Amino acid sequence: MTVTVTWYLVLAAALFSMGAAGVLIRRNALIMFMSIELMLNSVNLTFVAVSKHLGLIEGQVAALFVMVIAAAEVTVGLAIIVAIFRFRSSANVDELSELRG
Amino acid sequence: MELSDYLPIALMTLLGIGFAVASILVSKLLAPSNPTPEKLAPYECGIVPLQDPVERFPVKFYLVAMLFVIFDVEIIFLFVWAVSYKEFGWAGLGAVVVFMLMLIETLAYVWKRGALEWNVARRQRYRRIVAEGHLEEAA
Amino acid sequence: MQGGAWLPIAFEVVLLVGALAVLLVAVVAGRDRRFWGPAAGLAFAGAALAGVLQWREVSTSGAGLFFTAQGVSFAKSPMVVMDGLSAFGAIVLGLVGFVGFLAAWDLVAKVGRRGPELVSLLLLSLAGLHMMMATPNLVVIFLGLETASISFYVVAGFLRRQKGSAESSFKYFLLGSLASALFLYGVALTFAATGSLTLYGGNSIRDFFSSTIVTQPGILLAGMALMLVGIAFKVSAAPFHQWAPDVYQGAPTGAVGFMAATVKIAGFAALARIFGAGLVSQVDTWTPIVAVLAAVSMVVGTVLALVQSDVKRMLAYSGVAHAGYILTAMTAGVAGVPAMWFYVSTYAFMVVGGFAVLSTVSGSDSSKVPLDDLKGLVKRSPEMGWLMTFVVLGMSGMPFFAGFVAKVFSFVTATAVPAPWPANDHGYLWLVVLGVVMSVVGLAFYFRIIGTMFSTPDDQAELQEAGLPVRFAVIVSAVITVAFGIVPWPLIEAVRDAFPI
Repeated sequence: MTVTVTWYLVLAAALFSMGAAGVLIRRNALIMFMSIELMLNSVNLTFVAVSKHLGLIEGQVAALFVMVIAAAEVTVGLAIIVAIFRFRSSANVDELSELRG
Repeated sequence: MELSDYLPIALMTLLGIGFAVASILVSKLLAPSNPTPEKLAPYECGIVPLQDPVERFPVKFYLVAMLFVIFDVEIIFLFVWAVSYKEFGWAGLGAVVVFMLMLIETLAYVWKRGALEWNVARRQRYRRIVAEGHLEEAA
Repeated sequence: MQGGAWLPIAFEVVLLVGALAVLLVAVVAGRDRRFWGPAAGLAFAGAALAGVLQWREVSTSGAGLFFTAQGVSFAKSPMVVMDGLSAFGAIVLGLVGFVGFLAAWDLVAKVGRRGPELVSLLLLSLAGLHMMMATPNLVVIFLGLETASISFYVVAGFLRRQKGSAESSFKYFLLGSLASALFLYGVALTFAATGSLTLYGGNSIRDFFSSTIVTQPGILLAGMALMLVGIAFKVSAAPFHQWAPDVYQGAPTGAVGFMAATVKIAGFAALARIFGAGLVSQVDTWTPIVAVLAAVSMVVGTVLALVQSDVKRMLAYSGVAHAGYILTAMTAGVAGVPAMWFYVSTYAFMVVGGFAVLSTVSGSDSSKVPLDDLKGLVKRSPEMGWLMTFVVLGMSGMPFFAGFVAKVFSFVTATAVPAPWPANDHGYLWLVVLGVVMSVVGLAFYFRIIGTMFSTPDDQAELQEAGLPVRFAVIVSAVITVAFGIVPWPLIEAVRDAFPI
């Protein structure tokens, strides 16, 4: 049996669906956030697999761009989560930083 | 790629999982089970834990980590340029220089804005004490 | 790169330079907004000017594709396109951006030393939004989309100490990233089905469709559907609108107008670019879906707007309904682009103006704007009261206001082209009938706003006079709403040339 590009596409579709389900079902901010990363990376898998299959390089370049976008999203998303977290129990965090000097 | 090429990897995976499961099972079966509160504590000797070990880090760690991630990943565009800089020529070099200048400017802004200050609170306290003329106290 | 090759990307370059200059000036010369404010204003104005130059270039020497990689064997695909769509979009985005920036000026003053960051985020987002409509490459469209979205997530949460702002930012981030991921997966599947990421140019998706008969369209259909869902999310078309009311309500009032207006402009322009121009051969496949989206948006937006008690939420749901009316125009395929442009460019000014008035009433850093805040506005501040009345009348689609012309234009367009499903020669007549009914139902909440403004004020104090930039923004919006309602012909003439190639 040969591993064709279809396998990769199916795997990517499965990962993407898991990610989408995670965003919609889970209620933990960080896990929802990880699910979005999963979705973006499954798209990367699709891009690279198709690119290899068709002998084109556009898909691989696209994957690079997606990686950078994902990093930017991570940064902003984590910042937002941290900002909310800090706001909700600001007293607690202040205490901690005081104790640690 | 033939599916049969993956056979060694599959065997290796099975072997790894099997070994882990087997060791846990064997230790469960052979070891005497006689738990006491002291034995169940994370550290049997030393200070008694006061709080949940999963504690919150000061926010400055996140800040540094985020800055690292963003500048780290931006660099992958340099790899793309590096593998074919001959084909891109001077225009490519110009583009990369502009790109780097943008990154440097954002870094300069972040720096100036104080995001790289490691311990703002202590430094401010120190400055205040110095300003009030009680340098001996601070030292 | 030839000498004149900068014009197609002039809009983005001006805004990027502006954003960097604002940060640099703030670092070097000090955080006083008198130093960097003019730089930002110049950047917005320069961007609009770049749009005008592009428009002139397109009308004299025609549209063109640019930045095709030379000497690199694999990529014959152009990265930038300059045509009627992108040039008109540049003008509208530049002007709306400028007015929106003026409307956000009070907010900029309130955030103090973080002002340069807010302004440079606005500049960057505008560059990203124009990138979405000025490129034939699907990945670059995604890049532009994300540049704008990520900036807007931060702008929505800019007042992080306010509960509403932080929550709004988080919701926007989660649902927005979900939408971006869906759009990107759509791009990947389209790439898998057609073997190209370029809408037109060498080896493009258009070439693929003209040379290939698709027998198993499964992956292609999934890709198109996902891209459509992603864009529908961004323009807040129902049933993908859930984020809009929360985000509009929670985000700082001074900046909501900018965010809401510009993202709609770019979203619909990208829709016209990808589906109207790129996937023009598949028009019978996607227009029925757009029609359903339009119908759901009109009904959901109008009905839910009726029951809101917060003006920002009300305007958010009204925005959902307006997305439906604009999508109605797009059911005509690429022939709907002029009507889409007329609607979206006038509506954008109404949104900016409306939120600017709200920011003078409840404070530019406010989260919630209950309807009672507007009580007796006409007495408390006749200027703001009357201008807001004009803007709201424009949104409601009353005759002699721009909203009316826009709706008529959109409805006429939707019936001008034969529809594939249900197959007939009169286009989407059922959709137009629904649109008219919903416009009438919608009058109820628009007149609720106006009625509140004309009621007797409680013992509320006289409204504090707003700053000059904000007043200017509101006046411009109201004037445009009225002017293009009475004399719409110049704009109609212009949008007839604002086609994608």
